[in-house]
Amino acid sequence: MQTPPIVETVGLSKYFKGVVALDQVSISITAGQVVGLVGDNGAGKSTLVKILSGDLEPSAGQMLLNGEPVHFRHPRDAKKNQIETIYQDLALCENLNIMENVFLGHESYRNPFLRLLDRRRMYSETAQLLKGLGIRVPSTRELVMNLSGGQRQATALARVAKAGAKIVILDEPTAALGVNETRNLLDLVMRFKEQGKTIIIISHEMRDVFEVTDRIIVLKRGELVADKFTAETDPDEIVRYIIRGRE
Amino acid sequence: MTQQATPESLGLTSRIPAPLIRVLRRRDANVFFLFFVLLAAIVYFSIESPYFLSDRNAFNIGRAVSITGIAAAFATLLMISGGLDLSIGAIMNASGLTAAVILAESDQGIVIAFAIALGISTFIGFANGIIVTKIGVNPIIATIGMQFVVRGMTLATRSGSALVRDSTFLSIGQGELELGSLEIPIPVILMLLTMLLAYLTLRFTQFGKYIYAIGDNASACRRAGINVDRYRIALYTISGVGAGFAGLVLTGLTGAGIPYAAGSELSVISAVILGGVSLSGGVGLIQGTLLGVLLVGVLKNGMTLLNINANWQMVVEGSVLMIAVSLDQLKQRI
Repeated sequence: MQTPPIVETVGLSKYFKGVVALDQVSISITAGQVVGLVGDNGAGKSTLVKILSGDLEPSAGQMLLNGEPVHFRHPRDAKKNQIETIYQDLALCENLNIMENVFLGHESYRNPFLRLLDRRRMYSETAQLLKGLGIRVPSTRELVMNLSGGQRQATALARVAKAGAKIVILDEPTAALGVNETRNLLDLVMRFKEQGKTIIIISHEMRDVFEVTDRIIVLKRGELVADKFTAETDPDEIVRYIIRGRE
Repeated sequence: MTQQATPESLGLTSRIPAPLIRVLRRRDANVFFLFFVLLAAIVYFSIESPYFLSDRNAFNIGRAVSITGIAAAFATLLMISGGLDLSIGAIMNASGLTAAVILAESDQGIVIAFAIALGISTFIGFANGIIVTKIGVNPIIATIGMQFVVRGMTLATRSGSALVRDSTFLSIGQGELELGSLEIPIPVILMLLTMLLAYLTLRFTQFGKYIYAIGDNASACRRAGINVDRYRIALYTISGVGAGFAGLVLTGLTGAGIPYAAGSELSVISAVILGGVSLSGGVGLIQGTLLGVLLVGVLKNGMTLLNINANWQMVVEGSVLMIAVSLDQLKQRI
């Protein structure tokens, strides 16, 4: 028997006050794949990943993980199912420092009733984690409000790496990054892939998409218009799908 | 500290010295500032009035600010998380009157009376939390509505006061704790303990961290898997309980449950804001709230000793708040 896909959606739809943001999207992703999700603005990419991350509930359709139907009501549910997401806005708290953001929602604490933060332990774990990822920051005590775009991204990545999820979703990860920072990010994506993680990455940057993905899914006005293996297509064809939709 | 916006990067080098900027950018800059203003006020009043600098007068000030201080400690937690509770004063009156009426008109003891009063306060706070988080009503509107409802119900229950005769009840407001030669008023001790509890919560617990995190970016917290609604409801509930407790101390202090005894919640909220808590959330320290409460108390007391008319005291109080908030705004431009 074939192993079921790690992520599968069947007829997934989302309506916002009568506007169709996602229309009957059915995709199936095999474990270990790096999937690029592309499309013009308003194509439904972010809506799709928000449903996969539990940030939005679908209006219709179903989602299956390893063949089992799941229903996410809260991002917590997705996390329990080993799905971690780096959102476009990175979802960091500016008034907290790097360590506090990396551990947000997963704090180590002493005394289960009072939940006294075990800061020393979290600082040392954060330092190790960043070192392991090859990320350099001035100090894990630096507040996020004082960080550059790349350092913020690194903080968000470290959070995902810490969670050790099997499925990692990245929403426009390179949009705010400089050349070197983009390079580091793509390297990190490849490292995640080597670790056997399944990755879904939204990007506008065709070069990045073709460099790291195994497969490219194109959405247009909420519909799935193409699902191609990266090796069997080229940027021109994908751009054509993005602009003209299904042929 | 390498990526921090430097004065050079902002083109301000010539006007403001770098060490000063570093001080201003500290999270606790407000606390230092308030501390020096408070110190200056104390020095000024000590010079101007022979009665100001004495332990007796210090405790008068302490007693006068203790009720606001207790409510402010709980309100600080809520406001750092980005919430706001304008029903604090109404809850204080409802709680104090409830306990006094139960004691006066039934044969229940103080434990039951306090439990019912605090139970009602808890429920009101919880209801505020549900309306704000689950229904999504703006906190200002929701809690003003609640203020009217609670105030109306309190006055409908009893329009006059209910005298308190229970000695335990009176002692939480009027009692003193002898410490060597000092007789520290119990309400002052209760205020300091409340502030300490709030400080420890903010500084050392996961709950405290989430209060700051939710105040800064609630959606990021939700996406990090935190049950934001539950924490918000808890904070509104805590604000209600805190106000209820402050109301009990107030009733002990005045010796009667009075349906309109507590001043307005605005004095609590303005003290919190004076202390450096931002209405938009994510910023603030309990030390600031303590200093804010004390500064208001010292100014009022000192001006009274200098025979400054109460109307002008109000003008000064309002001006101090406006100046403090304006300076904070200006600071953010640096």
